[in-house]
Amino acid sequence: MTNKERILLVEDEDSLAIGLEFNLSAEGYSVTWVNDGKKALQQIHSAHFDLVILDLMLPYVSGFEVAGQIRTKDLQLPILILTARTTLKDRLKGFEVGADDYLTKPFHLEELLLRVKGMLKRKKWYRQSVQNMPSFQLGDKKINFEALTIQSMNQKLQLTAFEAILLKYLIDNRGKVVSRKELLEKVWNISSEIETRTVDNFIVRLRKYLEPDPDNPVYIKSVRGIGYLLNEK
Amino acid sequence: MSLKRPSTLFYHVLLFIIAQVIWFSLLGLWIYWYVTNYLLLMKVEDKLAPQMISGTINIAALVSGIVLLVLLSLSMSLIFIYLNRQLNVTRLYDNFIANVTHELKSPLSSIQLYLETMQKRKVPSEKKQEFLSLMLKDIERLNHLINSILYLSSLEQRKLTRKVSHDYHIFDTDTIIREVIQESLQEFNFPEKNVSLGGNASCQCVIDRSWLKIVFNNLIDNAIKYSAQFPQIKIQLNPGKRYFYIDFTDNGIGISQKDQKKIFNKFQRINSPESPNVKGTGLGLFWVREIVEYHGGKISVSSPGKNLGSTFKIALPIYQESKKRYMNRLLRLTRKYQALSERDHDQ
Repeated sequence: MTNKERILLVEDEDSLAIGLEFNLSAEGYSVTWVNDGKKALQQIHSAHFDLVILDLMLPYVSGFEVAGQIRTKDLQLPILILTARTTLKDRLKGFEVGADDYLTKPFHLEELLLRVKGMLKRKKWYRQSVQNMPSFQLGDKKINFEALTIQSMNQKLQLTAFEAILLKYLIDNRGKVVSRKELLEKVWNISSEIETRTVDNFIVRLRKYLEPDPDNPVYIKSVRGIGYLLNEK
Repeated sequence: MSLKRPSTLFYHVLLFIIAQVIWFSLLGLWIYWYVTNYLLLMKVEDKLAPQMISGTINIAALVSGIVLLVLLSLSMSLIFIYLNRQLNVTRLYDNFIANVTHELKSPLSSIQLYLETMQKRKVPSEKKQEFLSLMLKDIERLNHLINSILYLSSLEQRKLTRKVSHDYHIFDTDTIIREVIQESLQEFNFPEKNVSLGGNASCQCVIDRSWLKIVFNNLIDNAIKYSAQFPQIKIQLNPGKRYFYIDFTDNGIGISQKDQKKIFNKFQRINSPESPNVKGTGLGLFWVREIVEYHGGKISVSSPGKNLGSTFKIALPIYQESKKRYMNRLLRLTRKYQALSERDHDQ
């Protein structure tokens, strides 16, 4: 067993897949390529992967369904959707079924490789970080970073991988002000200044899970013009 | 979008029904008003001067009014039917645009990937050769797609204008069909052991060679696309009295009874989870049908069931046996077109 990171490439365009396989192997990853949704599911159930690159228009089982199935089995396996479908609706659906990133064709090789690297790095960081702190008590809620759940007195909430990573990052930096830009770079791996709404949307979701009154937050506070601050109290 | 579609149709139907109800209640009101007035008039008729009333003209007005209203309502129904048909085409057209975008972007992104790879890395020479041939294949695919969209517009101009190229000639059926099929098979690198070409058609026919090739290219392409494994193709030629027949059978996934009616429609694509392929524009079989019909022929499809393959049956007219006038017209147009292009050439 080598310690190469394993990537499952699900792509039904032969020529694109051959090129991707060549490049990913050159970067030091071990690549398994399958060309339809059925085979992708077989691979997911029989082998371990560190990342999945997934096309959407696939024979037999669509990419959306493959992503959904992966999520029922493994909440933390990073999924990068690589597709020709560019509409906002498809993007949103992709994230909804559990994709971590969405890249449209035609794409730049450099960008794809960076995103793959970023996703793997994030996953590694998360895993290490979870080893140090598998759970965290915030008020009356217990956050389990391995099972991605929030347990309170009477209910149990399921987090998505992204929400968990964001929350982990805020908790690791608790007591410090974290800027939106930093969150975008560290959690989303995007170095753009425009998509700050994304962060805000996720914060709103986390507040809904954690705050007794989401409109008057006590744990995750906004710092005007800068970013967010998580306080345990 | 899939959620929106039925509701828009629902609103259209509702609107149509409401409009019709309004028409007919207006008509009813009108008749009621007319009849009561008429009866009133009848009652007072004796007392009035007889020259004031002329009943015959009024009845004519009633009848023509009703006829007009019925015509109006009929034309409204017609508009409704056409509107619906148009909406359906628009929906399929959106689908087509999405498919074409996908078909254009896939080879494009693959070419971009290889070029960027070669820019970024030192690629060993045999790998480079492989990449180059893959890129050429992608360019071929793009070219094919662009051509097929161009064919579409030339096929659309069904009214035989002189601008559309015509290249119809009289051929010996058996020779030309076999030739064209062989060419198509070669284009797809189709192994000979997977094809059986039987029967013969010793007659003459009028055919545009390049268009006939599009027919077989599409049929072979579909056979490959819609088979889980590499398909077996059986082509049988049968001469008839007035038409000769080509039976094209594959052992692919088959076509359900419901879909058999739809597959020749423009932009139509059958999305089934059993389908081993998701690529296409929804134009292939539409062209096949258009081309066959343009040749004066007919095409039909049958399938014994799921995974039992499908058979396309093409019937084309035998020269001098049927559709004589139409065939002669095609030949005449070819001569005209050739004269025209020769003149352009000389200039």
